[in-house]
Amino acid sequence: MTGNQFTEGGTNMTKVSFKVTVNGRAREATVPPRMLLSDFIRQELSLPGTHVGCEHGVCGSCNVIVDGQAVRSCLMFAVQVEGSEITTVEGLTQGDALHPIQQAFWEEHGLQCGFCTPGMLATAQELLAQNPDPTDDEIREAISGNLCRCTGYEFIISAIRSAAVKLRETDTETTPQPV
Amino acid sequence: MSSHLKSNVIPPSRQREVPRTGMTWIGQSMKRVEDPRILSGKGGYIDDVAVPGMAHAAMVSSPHAHARIVSIDTSKAKALPGVIGVYTGEDLATVADPCPSFAAPPITQHAISVGKVRHVGEVVAAVVAEDRYIAEDAAELVEVEWEILPPNVDLEVAAAAAGDALLHPDDRDSNVALDESFSFGDVDQHFAEAHTVVKRRLRWQRSSAQAIETCGVVAQFDPFKGGYTIHSNSNFYNFIPFVIGGSLRVSPGELRIIPVLTGGSFGSKVFNHKIIILTAGLARLAGVPVKYIEDRLEHFTNSDSHGSDRLYDAELAMAEDGTFTSLRFTVMDDYGAYLQFGVGTHGNAMAQVTGPYQIQSFGMRVMAVLTNKTQQGPYRGFGSEVTNWVMERMVDAAAEELGRDPVALREQNMIQPDQFPYMIPTGNIYDSGNFQKVLEEAKTMFDFDGWRSKARAMRAKGRCVGVGLATCMERSVYGPTEWWSLNNKETPGFTLTSTPEGITVRLDPSGKMFVTLNSPMVGNSPETVVAQILAERLTIAPEDIVFNYSDSQSGFNGVGPQGSRFTAMIAGACVSASIKLEEKLKRFGAHMLQRRPEDVELRNGAVAVKGLKDQEKAFGEIALTSSFFRLSFPDGEEFDSGIETTAVYDHPLSTDPAEDRSHLGIFYPIVGHICHIVAVEVDPGTGKVEILDYTAVHDNGTMVNPRTLAGQVWGGTANGIGTTLSEVFEYDEDGQFTNPNFAEFAMPTANEMPRNFKLGHVETPSPYTEYGIKGGGEGGRLGAPSALTSAIEDALSDRGVKIASLPVTPPILRGLIRDAEQAATG
Amino acid sequence: MKPSAFSYECPNDLQAALALLASDGDTRILAGGQSLVPMMNYRLAQPERLIDINRLSELDYIRDDGGVIAIGALARHAAIKSSDLIKEHFPIVAEAYDWIAHAAVRNRGTLCGNLCHADAASEMPAIMQILEAELVLLKVGTSRVIAAQDFFLGTYETAIAADEILTEVRIPKPAAGTGWGFEEVAMRRGDYAWCTVVATLRISDGKIAAPRIAMAGVNDCAARLRDAEAALTEQTPGASLFDAVADTVADAATPAESSAGSAAYKRDLIRALLPRVLNDAVTRAT
Ligand SMILES: Cc1cc2nc3c(=O)[nH]c(=O)nc-3n(C[C@H](O)[C@H](O)[C@H](O)COP(=O)(O)OP(=O)(O)OC[C@H]3O[C@@H](n4cnc5c(N)ncnc54)[C@H](O)[C@@H]3O)c2cc1C
Ligand code: FES
Ligand code: FES
Repeated sequence: MTGNQFTEGGTNMTKVSFKVTVNGRAREATVPPRMLLSDFIRQELSLPGTHVGCEHGVCGSCNVIVDGQAVRSCLMFAVQVEGSEITTVEGLTQGDALHPIQQAFWEEHGLQCGFCTPGMLATAQELLAQNPDPTDDEIREAISGNLCRCTGYEFIISAIRSAAVKLRETDTETTPQPV
Repeated sequence: MSSHLKSNVIPPSRQREVPRTGMTWIGQSMKRVEDPRILSGKGGYIDDVAVPGMAHAAMVSSPHAHARIVSIDTSKAKALPGVIGVYTGEDLATVADPCPSFAAPPITQHAISVGKVRHVGEVVAAVVAEDRYIAEDAAELVEVEWEILPPNVDLEVAAAAAGDALLHPDDRDSNVALDESFSFGDVDQHFAEAHTVVKRRLRWQRSSAQAIETCGVVAQFDPFKGGYTIHSNSNFYNFIPFVIGGSLRVSPGELRIIPVLTGGSFGSKVFNHKIIILTAGLARLAGVPVKYIEDRLEHFTNSDSHGSDRLYDAELAMAEDGTFTSLRFTVMDDYGAYLQFGVGTHGNAMAQVTGPYQIQSFGMRVMAVLTNKTQQGPYRGFGSEVTNWVMERMVDAAAEELGRDPVALREQNMIQPDQFPYMIPTGNIYDSGNFQKVLEEAKTMFDFDGWRSKARAMRAKGRCVGVGLATCMERSVYGPTEWWSLNNKETPGFTLTSTPEGITVRLDPSGKMFVTLNSPMVGNSPETVVAQILAERLTIAPEDIVFNYSDSQSGFNGVGPQGSRFTAMIAGACVSASIKLEEKLKRFGAHMLQRRPEDVELRNGAVAVKGLKDQEKAFGEIALTSSFFRLSFPDGEEFDSGIETTAVYDHPLSTDPAEDRSHLGIFYPIVGHICHIVAVEVDPGTGKVEILDYTAVHDNGTMVNPRTLAGQVWGGTANGIGTTLSEVFEYDEDGQFTNPNFAEFAMPTANEMPRNFKLGHVETPSPYTEYGIKGGGEGGRLGAPSALTSAIEDALSDRGVKIASLPVTPPILRGLIRDAEQAATG
Repeated sequence: MKPSAFSYECPNDLQAALALLASDGDTRILAGGQSLVPMMNYRLAQPERLIDINRLSELDYIRDDGGVIAIGALARHAAIKSSDLIKEHFPIVAEAYDWIAHAAVRNRGTLCGNLCHADAASEMPAIMQILEAELVLLKVGTSRVIAAQDFFLGTYETAIAADEILTEVRIPKPAAGTGWGFEEVAMRRGDYAWCTVVATLRISDGKIAAPRIAMAGVNDCAARLRDAEAALTEQTPGASLFDAVADTVADAATPAESSAGSAAYKRDLIRALLPRVLNDAVTRAT
């Protein structure tokens, strides 16, 4: 990690350079330490699929996968992900095809406005990697850290249930990387 | 019919597509057209918009509920590197006038306050800087000197306040901004003749929609091209230029508002005029494009979308046998610091204030009280969610006082299936319905009788289990008279009567159908429903339709998704467009087939000769020929190139309010009906409520897409559960808003939703809309609070707990139980 | 809602971290960030310097040290929740984690950060006190061990010094046969507690032995309920005893009036939850 002096907001601050892999692509960045990971992903990397709903850790719409785990990107600083692998919703899509979890959200009407959806997908991705055959109550518990104001959650739960079936049925070779 | 309604003549139906069974696309749970781009992260929300040279705004917000601004020192903030400008209300006033107000006479509101602040969170200065971080740094450096004024927090106290406690001494000499009384029918006589009058004081407290996306704007000003280019997540982008052009001192035509995919609204983004004026003004002052996205705190404290906050003194008059005769109430509503939409939320409630019951007359005094809180705006139900609850509370109260079964009493008073169209005392009509069928269906699905005896048995064993049932109206397809019909007759304000919805449809030479919508996608499914309706009407495949959205300069006539209007209204526009397009297609196609237009028909995406199997021309081929081979057709403008049309649909059934306001006319006539039944268990020690079972049956007329409708019902029910059990805005005595965050304003998570939610549908098509479609975007929240309240009261019936105020959070409910316990033990 | 500027250090070993911490300045340790960063986003906290301890992998452990289970400063809530060692010896911890935040927050948040944050409505400060955990505090050159019950001084206030790191929590394995109870009321599961009551006890000859009870969410910080423990010791468990003890605790409580309900409500919660917790603990004791 390297630092270079610069003046930001009137305070002497050191920008920090680091490397990170995002959606399989190696990226280098130099940002002020206070830049939130959510802003880094959205603005510096131009990946606006990750959404920001509260910036205080409650809504979960900013959830992304960092080194296999779903985390709040509004509660991490970008500089903390040096050396990490990050998957955002943009990385879930496989070429021209939706990921089976995305496909299940489509089929089961797991989204309305879609604002909570990227965070829900990250949460679902982690859940199904850890527990390929969750009960409805386990799904409910897993997504209880993601607020959705549109759906009443019912169809999100159906979508994750259906995604679990799809993922179990998929040939292991073509299964997306377990997160 | 009561004589006061005689002048309100129901216009004839303009329905062209009659409801029928066995349709190909309408009625299918088709996957949504909108979803793939959203699911892949490419939706394009307001915060995804970036324009070259864009700067970012942050606000300096008032920490006080009511205070005079003595001075503002922006010098330190301006000196911060990266800051482009810092602007006060006076600065903004050099380029913008106050916000539009639908209150009549208006109440002045500046997008950045001038002279004084009237609620916590009100903007006193704005910073424009290179990025949001720096903008927030600078905002912290702005120094404001205040002179604190007395805060108005309690609505009854505020109503009586004077002197320094007046919010708008320049506009009004009282904090009661409007006080109007109405009598629809022989209210006094019915009460005088009543055998029993049930009275209740009922309170509905403040909350709001809190869509997961906040409001935001990206604005540019170009003095040479004469105007503003504005990206906004407003619901209403084709309408607002007209309303805000004046504030921005440009003609509406110089405002180009570009819609974006919107991350939920539920009413909260209906206008968004203040944030547009604010950001646009900043862009003009700073000379650079400006992005301003509310953060969550700002959305709570300054987004002008708080919901109803009402106190009712209600009375229901009944004959000896329990027949309802009249309803009247006085309602005070805490509108907060301004009155942007007048008392539109009460106008709305007039659509169905007497519920599904036959009640001959209705009277009301409505008082709009101003307090030092963020002002109200629309929230799913737009005021009718409250009157639904009031009506159902009054029916439960009546059943109790008469010693009657609450469901039997409802059935006794319900409007009968042969009484439609049914005109209620306010003058609105209910177009159609079969409330009895909805009730029966719900009772069966829920096993109502079984549950009731189960609950009784559990209560006998000391458990607090109860069942509640509500039968409510869900008006849809709003007419705009609701915004002004309750204003003083002498100063009615802007007496708008149009709510058109338009569409442009073009058949491309490639065979694709390009459709332009004039209202944004806010989480509803505009593209999906239009695809289904056009596919039905024109026999094309939905996947051949490509959607885009006009901006306010290229489009026309879009009022947006609100008031449960969009699906029914756009269906009308689709039918109008289809009729025109069909005629063109047949003209061109028949010529290509060397037939007369009357000998051909539309068949599977082709113009085909009636009765002949293989004689047809695909739409694509017709479009191609008509676009590129002009000489294949005769001269004459009826064969001008291209297959394209634009169509608009006006409100299907509305009338003017009576001059003397003896009735309000027809303005919200396409009514759905809903029955919610719920079983709950209360933990009496903690006040926690657990939902054991839940059934909702909705009648929204012909369903275009049952699954997306179900999504609306579930989502609305989740809102209603929050409204009832956990969501309330808390203000302390200084007017500080104490829980403006997602940690303490507790919206339901998946854990709080019922495990066993059953949803049923009855379809009573409307005789007035195309295909009989009714709206269904608000129903869940229009029914859940009533049913849940009844269930909780039933669960605690042995303890004598009565619920007269929402929400009943665990501390509040436990308080009611404690009071009852103390009363019982003396 | 963006944090104010700070300078950032991310040491790779504990000694370097301690050395950085020893230098002057308004410095904060950044662990999971799940309490600190929201406060920074609201600008309620504006540290000039952050020392990120997330690369101190030497502190990432949950270890069986014979009589105690040792949990390092980088052990995340999620790891503790799913740890077999924890489930075996402290099922109350695993149970309580169902009530603490949500999976994505638990993936980052740490137990040590949680204890240092010392929110009055936080569960683990109460649980660590009844488990009689010891906290290891390190600074350059020295270390000290402090009992959990002495660590919590008030809302967001602990006995840790500005130049110390809480490196480890040491929880003694409970005596065989210990029963436990956990009850919480919050608006939603995952929210901070309006009231949490936790207890462990044993039953010996039909009588309650070694009861340890603590409460959070009511007073200004989580604390043991010593008087209640004394009143229960060597008593025969029973509803009237539990109700009486709960009444005494409720009467002695000093809850602040807050949006999470009135003082009367908090007292009611104590009356409702304490007997349930004791009943569960008695039932689980063998
Ligand atoms: C949505 C949400 C819900 C939550 N719900 C709950 C809940 O129900 N109950 C609950 O208890 N918590 C809850 N939390 C908080 C969560 O448990 C945090 O993880 C925890 O409080 C802090 O741990 P951290 O590792 O994230 O610490 P940080 O946020 O990194 O730090 C917190 C404080 O401790 C200091 N600190 C951290 N580690 C050390 C150390 N090793 N030595 C010295 N000082 C240190 C920091 O300087 C800072 O002052 C919730 C958080 C969120 C976002
Ligand atoms: S934006 Fe990160 S949790 Fe809400
Ligand atoms: S789909 Fe709109 S918030 Fe979830």
